[in-house]
Amino acid sequence: MDREILRRLELLNQLRLTEEEKQTFLEFFNSKKSNLEALDNAVNTQNVERMVHVMPVMTVVREDVVKQPFSRDDLQRSAPETDEGYWCVPRVVE
Amino acid sequence: MKKYTVKTQTQSTAKFVADDMILTKDIPTCAGSKMLDGYVSLFEAEVLTRLADKGYGLAGKTDVGEFSIDLLGETSYNGAIIEDGVLKNATASVIKDGEVDFAITLDVNGSVRRAAAQDGLVSIKPTYGTVSRFGTIPVVCSGETVSVMAKTADLCKEALSAIAGHDDKDGTSLPQSEIDKTKTEKEIRKVAVLSSMLKGVDGKVSEKLNNVCEILRKNGIEVTEIDDSVIALSSAYWAVLMSAECCNNVSKYDGVKYGYRAQNFMGIDELYTNSRTEAFGFLLKSTILLGSETLSTANYVKIYDKALRMRRVIVEEFAKIFASYDVVLMPACSAFAYGEEDMKNTYKAYEENFYTAPASITGLPAVVVGGVQFVGNAFSENSMLSLAAIIEKEGK
Repeated sequence: MDREILRRLELLNQLRLTEEEKQTFLEFFNSKKSNLEALDNAVNTQNVERMVHVMPVMTVVREDVVKQPFSRDDLQRSAPETDEGYWCVPRVVE
Repeated sequence: MKKYTVKTQTQSTAKFVADDMILTKDIPTCAGSKMLDGYVSLFEAEVLTRLADKGYGLAGKTDVGEFSIDLLGETSYNGAIIEDGVLKNATASVIKDGEVDFAITLDVNGSVRRAAAQDGLVSIKPTYGTVSRFGTIPVVCSGETVSVMAKTADLCKEALSAIAGHDDKDGTSLPQSEIDKTKTEKEIRKVAVLSSMLKGVDGKVSEKLNNVCEILRKNGIEVTEIDDSVIALSSAYWAVLMSAECCNNVSKYDGVKYGYRAQNFMGIDELYTNSRTEAFGFLLKSTILLGSETLSTANYVKIYDKALRMRRVIVEEFAKIFASYDVVLMPACSAFAYGEEDMKNTYKAYEENFYTAPASITGLPAVVVGGVQFVGNAFSENSMLSLAAIIEKEGK
């Protein structure tokens, strides 16, 4: 990974690193990637099925009943800024 | 720093704490992050409801590292607990001091097991899906498990039986008929020690492993060292899955509906970026970026897809071992104390999860006792806790 890819990742993830953090992260990432590349041939997984869940997972269904567990006031209790029941954000459309 | 937030009213005699990854209605839950500082949940975690129904009293919440992905809690927004130059874990300290009987924790990246090993406590990370994760803060959904830490194996068994069971509210909760398999205990007669997992441990950890092996042999249990090169690969692939899932799970923290919002910003993008940059610590930021890159078009097949396939290879490797042995013995950490040098290394948790990743990536149960870790077949937690009770008794 180079600094250009890192810059793109920062943008994608809405994050910024300091110059020192960038250097530390790049060393960490490149070492992790080299290690994974070196391990790539250790086990041939071409015919191995992916395992997303370690245990059999079934689709959970429930009765289609309308519920209102929380009020708007409750939901906005931890909000950084609200106004008359709306969440406030900066202007999005110029 | 604070070890825990005390809840003032509890009438129960059997007291416990929950770590700060478990949602509580009347105590803030901040997951060790500035992002959730002061956040109060609207609902209680299922495990806490079950414990309250059975008469156990929640005494308070213990602090964790940011989203519990670090060594022992050192990345908490509240600061690290350092005693005599040694890093300590809040949950383990509260139990060791005798303030509560047990703790309910979320084992995300092994910090619970490292803490139990370093403080001479017992912990059980049960089989994935046996304890509801409803009301826990999600970080690595496919591997994290609600766990129990206590002074004794009997207390772990008691607390685990109170919280285990199917929960409709958790899509990964196993059917009750599967969970009931944990009630069947099987005597442990054969233990395998994986030589590849002994890499990097210091003299004191080796000594503990030898002591435990001696106790096992004294009790007529066969202990055999076996060569295995696959299990030791767990950590490399766990890092891929952990970072990818963590990246997705924390993407919702943007400073809009709840959580921290930066004071200064020009426009919505800056609101997101400044809030996340100011609130998240460097280890979490690194994990997000690592996860994001492993999921990118350039790396998805080579890295992420490979890790998912390797998870199956590792699960199958354990199954082969369990065809001949009852449990696997391995260290839980490389050393029994992390000092200043360890704390300076941002990525030390990525090194130490070499010992905890095998149980995390496979969802297999793991018991820590006497400073060492046993990993067993699915649903063998009670059998392993009975073995832990023997080690506890003999180790005194």
